[in-house]
Amino acid sequence: MLNKSKSSKSNATRKTQKWALILFTLFIILACSIVLSISIGYVSIPFSNIIKVFLTNTPGLNRLFSYPVSTVDTALILQVRFPRALCAALAGAALAIAGAAYQGLFRNPMADPYTIGASSGAALGATTAVIVGLSVTIIGINTMQIFAFIGCLLTVFFVYAISRVGSKVPVQTLLLSGIAVSILLGAIVNAYHSLFPEQFRRSAFWLMGSFSYTEWADVWSALPFIIIGSIVIYMFSRDLNLLALGESEATHLGVDLEKMKKILLIASAFVTAAAVSISGLIAFVGLIIPHVTRMIFSPDHRILIPASAVMGAIFLVLCDILARVVIAPTELPVGVVTAVCGGPFFLYLMRRKKKVDTS
Amino acid sequence: MVHLKINNINCYYDSIKIIEDISFQFQTGQFVGILGPNGSGKTTLLKSISHTLKPKTGTILLEDDDIYTLKAVDIAKKMAVVSQGAAIAFSFTALDVVLMGRSPHLSRFAMESEKDVAIAKKAMTYTGTLHLQDRLITELSGGERQRIIISRALAQEPQVLLLDEPTTFLDVANQLEIMDLLKQLCDNKKLLVIGVFHDFNLAARYCDSLVLLKNGKIVAAGTTDVLTSENIKTIFNIDTVVKQNSITKTPYIIPISVNHEVPLRSSTIHVICGSGSGSSLLKRLTDDGYNVTVGVLNLLDTDQETTSFLKIHTVTEAPMSPISESAHNDNLGLIKKADLVIVTSFPYGPGNIKNLDAATFAIEQGIPVFLLDETLIELRDYTKGQAQEKMKILKNKGAVSIKDEKTLLSALNYLTKKQVSKSTFSLPHVVPALATVEEVSH
Repeated sequence: MLNKSKSSKSNATRKTQKWALILFTLFIILACSIVLSISIGYVSIPFSNIIKVFLTNTPGLNRLFSYPVSTVDTALILQVRFPRALCAALAGAALAIAGAAYQGLFRNPMADPYTIGASSGAALGATTAVIVGLSVTIIGINTMQIFAFIGCLLTVFFVYAISRVGSKVPVQTLLLSGIAVSILLGAIVNAYHSLFPEQFRRSAFWLMGSFSYTEWADVWSALPFIIIGSIVIYMFSRDLNLLALGESEATHLGVDLEKMKKILLIASAFVTAAAVSISGLIAFVGLIIPHVTRMIFSPDHRILIPASAVMGAIFLVLCDILARVVIAPTELPVGVVTAVCGGPFFLYLMRRKKKVDTS
Repeated sequence: MVHLKINNINCYYDSIKIIEDISFQFQTGQFVGILGPNGSGKTTLLKSISHTLKPKTGTILLEDDDIYTLKAVDIAKKMAVVSQGAAIAFSFTALDVVLMGRSPHLSRFAMESEKDVAIAKKAMTYTGTLHLQDRLITELSGGERQRIIISRALAQEPQVLLLDEPTTFLDVANQLEIMDLLKQLCDNKKLLVIGVFHDFNLAARYCDSLVLLKNGKIVAAGTTDVLTSENIKTIFNIDTVVKQNSITKTPYIIPISVNHEVPLRSSTIHVICGSGSGSSLLKRLTDDGYNVTVGVLNLLDTDQETTSFLKIHTVTEAPMSPISESAHNDNLGLIKKADLVIVTSFPYGPGNIKNLDAATFAIEQGIPVFLLDETLIELRDYTKGQAQEKMKILKNKGAVSIKDEKTLLSALNYLTKKQVSKSTFSLPHVVPALATVEEVSH
């Protein structure tokens, strides 16, 4: 008996340790990806210079370290490539978290910000803000983001409402109406771009997603949305686990399902809107990252959500690098890269899973 | 020690009343089965007990607290629910699923402690699933998954366990194992187990209390004695024979469909049978609308149970006794009124050899006699050849031998399509009829 409780003790703590190790490793990989992203480009910058610039320019550390690096490199690193890499990381994390939340909420691995219309709603909201010339920043929050958030939220609730049959929301109808609304709103965004070309210097950005024009302001405006939304979503991670057992099962285990659905839909709209307003429409990240994370690590949302966030960040930073180098000096929209990498990989995983299931 | 009290509840879906004035008390250690046809409100009753559908009027008290004033989490600590299997969405391990049962006992950000893991493993040991702990829930069989779900419910450490048709999708072996497990939980862990069941035999065998529902009302409630033929007729509108399972000493119910709308035929058929050889024929003949009489049968004979269920006029003799002169005469009286006599294929002993004399009497009266020859007479003669002798005489006098029940029924059908009279069944008609039937069946 003593032996048994001892082994179960290690069982419980081993899980926490394992999760910590997973996140630590993923953060190291993310840091490396960001350094790689800063290094690679039209002008390549050696790693040593990147580290020197960071040491010299970090408050506190700059008293201990001071290295002479050319002002051009310093500006390129700190004003262009670093904020760009951070934006890619933030957007990737946000989309992956929203995807994990939607998949858990709708108990279906096919749900993501794109398929249920959230991304398109956010894109339409942001585009509308640009057209009516409301793109101003008030106390650090860009109105474009507010519009994106409103567009996203309205779309999700609209899709949710029209898919509702009685007191239930069947997943098939939800996905079908989500995709239909997504295509419709995407068409409107497209139409805006054709009608008002001069207002959209960042056209490719909205249609296929891009980080070409991102700057520090984007980081600061998206960050609070993403942090708040992510924390709220993470708070419901154990409830999302219970929901995997079934809606009535979750209720019987003490989950207030209706309240949880509303809060999670709003929180996911928060992070989706933030991601879309800095990156435009990027498909596949929200779908594929939680899926892969679940396969590699665990379906337990307490690790799935944070691990998906870091995985999404890594994925989008790497995709952004590819977008810049494939046909350099011209850039590809990053959404093209995510689709080209993500699609086949997703199919491969599905086939492999099928084989495992049947063997 | 009352644990769950239902006081006069009425439940509605929108404006449709589903549950009407139901009151009941449940105690720990009880295994309660809720039975009723589809739409009788049994799942609704379970939903209102499980804090899912609030009754419009009436209260449900769990240890003197109205459950609709308690928080869902607090109820989950006392009451576990196994609903009708929703598929589990993601590939959690079995242990992870069972650990989710600890959730009501944990604060929002708390991880499961060693104690929780120990409780989960204990629950899995109890259900015999500990060896499955690292397997993925999505890869388990239906029976294994159901046992994991029950382990998850046990990990909640509840006092009350509610189950909605827990055995519906399982094979027979798994059904019995799950029911055995639930019974043990009542007996050993003093849990109150309330289940909705479809299979009244399974419920009768395991539950110690039954609630029979129809149209949202309780028809009968109490021990398994409430499972009477009348009560089952009231709720399911089917005819049944209720027997006692001699091994488990619990009621055992055999459903029998009754064809209620048949045009009655004017012809009377007298059947001489015994030892169960005539039961299916009797059912078919009554279903086809013939006026059927039977004799002589010993009381408690299988065929006699059938005739009493089918309400067939039967001449009977005391159990295990030879046919008396008076019973024999009564039998001859019935035969005189018959248009046809059928003798089924049953064993003859000194006690019932008189039935062959009755058949001979019939043919001497000019009443056609059909002999079912499914088993050779030599194999069912326990009278040292007497029965064989009498059978030979019968055939010589013109009794028609028919090889099986199916041929007999087709021949009857063929004959009665034409005019029905005593002569319908006489030899000149029967021989060509049998020939036709044989031809068709080949």
